[in-house]
Amino acid sequence: MDRRSAMKQLAVLTGGVIMIPSCDFSEEAILQAYQNLNITASQKALLTRVTNTIFPGTTLKRAEEIQLQDFVLVMCNDCLKENQQQSFVLGLKQWDDFTKQNFGQAFSKMDQNEAADAIRETMSLEAAPESDAALLGRFLAITKQFALQGYLSSEYFMKEIKPYELVPARFFGSKKIENA
Amino acid sequence: MANLNIKSKQENTYDAIVIGSGMSGGWAAKELCEKGLKTLVLERGREVKHVQDYPTTNMMPWEFEHRGNIPEAVKKENPVVSRCYAFREDAQHFFVKDTEHPYVQEKPFDWIRGYQTGGKSLLWARQVQRWSDFDFEGPARDGFAVDWPIRYKDIAPWYSHVEKFIGVSGNRDGKPNLPDGEFLPPFELTAGEQYFKDFLRENYPEREIIVARCAHITGNQEFYAKQGRALCQNRTLCQRGCPFGGYFSSNSSTLPWAAKTGNLSMQHHAVVHSIIYDEDKGKATGVRVIDAQTKETTEYYADVIFVNASALNTNLILLNSTSNRFPNGLGNDSGVLGKYVAFHNYRAGISGEYDGLKEFTTEGRRPTSGYFPRFRNVYKQETDFLRGYAAGFSANRSMINDYSGIGDELEKAMTREKYGPWRVGSHMMGETIPKEESQVSLDPNLKDAWGIPQLKISMDYDANDEAMIKDYLEQMTEMFEAAGFTNIRTRDDKRAPGLDIHEMGGARMGKDPKTSVLNEWNQIHSCPNVYVTDGACMTSTSTQNPSLTYMAFAARAVDHAVKNLG
Ligand SMILES: Cc1cc2nc3c(=O)[nH]c(=O)nc-3n(C[C@H](O)[C@H](O)[C@H](O)COP(=O)(O)OP(=O)(O)OC[C@H]3O[C@@H](n4cnc5c(N)ncnc54)[C@H](O)[C@@H]3O)c2cc1C
Ligand code: SF4
Repeated sequence: MDRRSAMKQLAVLTGGVIMIPSCDFSEEAILQAYQNLNITASQKALLTRVTNTIFPGTTLKRAEEIQLQDFVLVMCNDCLKENQQQSFVLGLKQWDDFTKQNFGQAFSKMDQNEAADAIRETMSLEAAPESDAALLGRFLAITKQFALQGYLSSEYFMKEIKPYELVPARFFGSKKIENA
Repeated sequence: MANLNIKSKQENTYDAIVIGSGMSGGWAAKELCEKGLKTLVLERGREVKHVQDYPTTNMMPWEFEHRGNIPEAVKKENPVVSRCYAFREDAQHFFVKDTEHPYVQEKPFDWIRGYQTGGKSLLWARQVQRWSDFDFEGPARDGFAVDWPIRYKDIAPWYSHVEKFIGVSGNRDGKPNLPDGEFLPPFELTAGEQYFKDFLRENYPEREIIVARCAHITGNQEFYAKQGRALCQNRTLCQRGCPFGGYFSSNSSTLPWAAKTGNLSMQHHAVVHSIIYDEDKGKATGVRVIDAQTKETTEYYADVIFVNASALNTNLILLNSTSNRFPNGLGNDSGVLGKYVAFHNYRAGISGEYDGLKEFTTEGRRPTSGYFPRFRNVYKQETDFLRGYAAGFSANRSMINDYSGIGDELEKAMTREKYGPWRVGSHMMGETIPKEESQVSLDPNLKDAWGIPQLKISMDYDANDEAMIKDYLEQMTEMFEAAGFTNIRTRDDKRAPGLDIHEMGGARMGKDPKTSVLNEWNQIHSCPNVYVTDGACMTSTSTQNPSLTYMAFAARAVDHAVKNLG
């Protein structure tokens, strides 16, 4: 087997995760599915924690159960302008360090309440646009926006919570609202 | 013309040729075939079969990878088409991408095109308001362009003919400047729209809101079943192609009907290069076609030729059809071919809220909206600008969700919706004045992939349009305020001409061959076996959506052509 097909083989086995050949063995796999983002599996895992914190699954399904992290990454990879993409990726890469510095604990080590507080607080910080805090605010805002969009338009939500009708076959212009 | 494909001339000869299978070409084809003419339709795009080739039509929202959004890379490569509201993930495959078919913008012009069976008829918003004599008499009364060679009475029976066949839902509103037609049951106005209608009736008696007439089947099922079409099911996903055939497109209606006669031949990937003019015979004898895929050239012949490539492409074909007799383009003795093009002014809009009618909402979906027929300068000149504007108007009950939290707070909020105020909105549809300096021409240097000159487009807003925008915003603001609407916001999005997708003119109709290209039957004055019945023929633009008028012209012109054949 030549090197190329070996790599391909590996990609299949690891579900799209390819090891970037490098002498530095500490370097981690880059997820090939998101070629504009250059993020690793552990960064994706961190994002999953963020979306799980936004949708913890107490009233509805947990974010991970509907693969919301995948949707957020697809949208960031394909539908963001370059500067926003950069905010997202840089923010994701700094999020653990930032929380450690500012909340005394890395985000990935926090429980749901602490994690939710960290997100809330960071999103409501009034920070100078070039500051780290503002960058992380942008990262969280982008993540939340796509997570919410993905959730509201997920099969689960549109079938079980707020059923979408493909074929309504009716229109009433003045419908009386019961107990308005 | 290197590799000319010389099939026997007889094999390539038909009674009639139609260039373009879109909204107007589909009508020409149907009428020609029904009247017994062996008809060849030449379509430059790929084949799109009704239902079968609507890949997204039954997809659920979550099945779209980007939930409808167009990826940034596509937008960056195709800025023009990306500005069209309907260029979304579900219908993007029916639009021409900028990169595929370049053109030259001497002034910014967003040229929105659909190259496939049915052209843009798959994608349109299906609004079909008749024109009236307030439109056809406009140029003569107000002293611009040239007088239309026809009046409402000439086209009225053809409006009826078209409306009955395509299916038009609407009310008989009895408005002289928006004549009633052959209508199927109307969609309802919403409670908010009805409120504004009633308010106007009290306070501005000469202004009225109606429900916009739209090409949807809402009744007379048995009749439309013969076309294989069924009642509209209110999906409002029409731009994907409708599995019920609920709205009119060439694909669902005219083309299959024409095929059923046995008289229709269709060629796809057939790019018409030019029309062949025979000097000995003193008429057009056929067309030169380049195969879009092989680039091979073929000639097809017919007694009568209908040009329906969509307004600006029709100009391109005519300008590119040169001969000793017509060195500047077919039928261009007057020098006006390509000139006096115009469009609709869609730049301005307004939105607001209405806090009343709290006990009402709407249910289901409606593939049309409210419509504000033109009220400015109708009976006489009353403003400092010429002509006027129609407007869309809609009012819908909003739902309020508080998505500000995260965690369980957010999850709970997503299951709790509250009714908000009614959201009201309007956008203007202004008539623009065709002027000599507004023109399209062939670029002297740039060619497309088939060796055909690229079209150079040059048209812009003028002081009349600016004054009209100002008036629209003032009048709408005044009426919105008086009606008790709040949070009123006006906008002028400064969009380039073209996004209205109602470009018209260039081969205008007129009485005098010295100042027009076509006569009252849509025949080229100096080459009467060529008929132009798409937007290129329009002498002025009116405010109403134009496609119904193109279809009526096509049917009327075929009737004329067949009566006058040999
Ligand atoms: C999103 C959208 C909304 C719209 N809403 C409305 C509306 O509500 N009401 C309304 O009245 N109009 C509306 N329109 C405009 C309407 O679609 C057009 O006016 C109408 O389709 C024009 O018909 P046509 O036959 O001239 O052109 P088209 O329908 O565009 O068809 C032209 C055909 O000619 C073919 N062609 C072009 N050049 C050549 C060539 N050289 N050789 C061979 N074939 C060629 C093209 O591939 C195409 O199939 C809308 C358009 C869009 C895109
Ligand atoms: S709104 Fe009517 S016409 Fe449009 S897709 Fe739906 S059923 Fe078809």
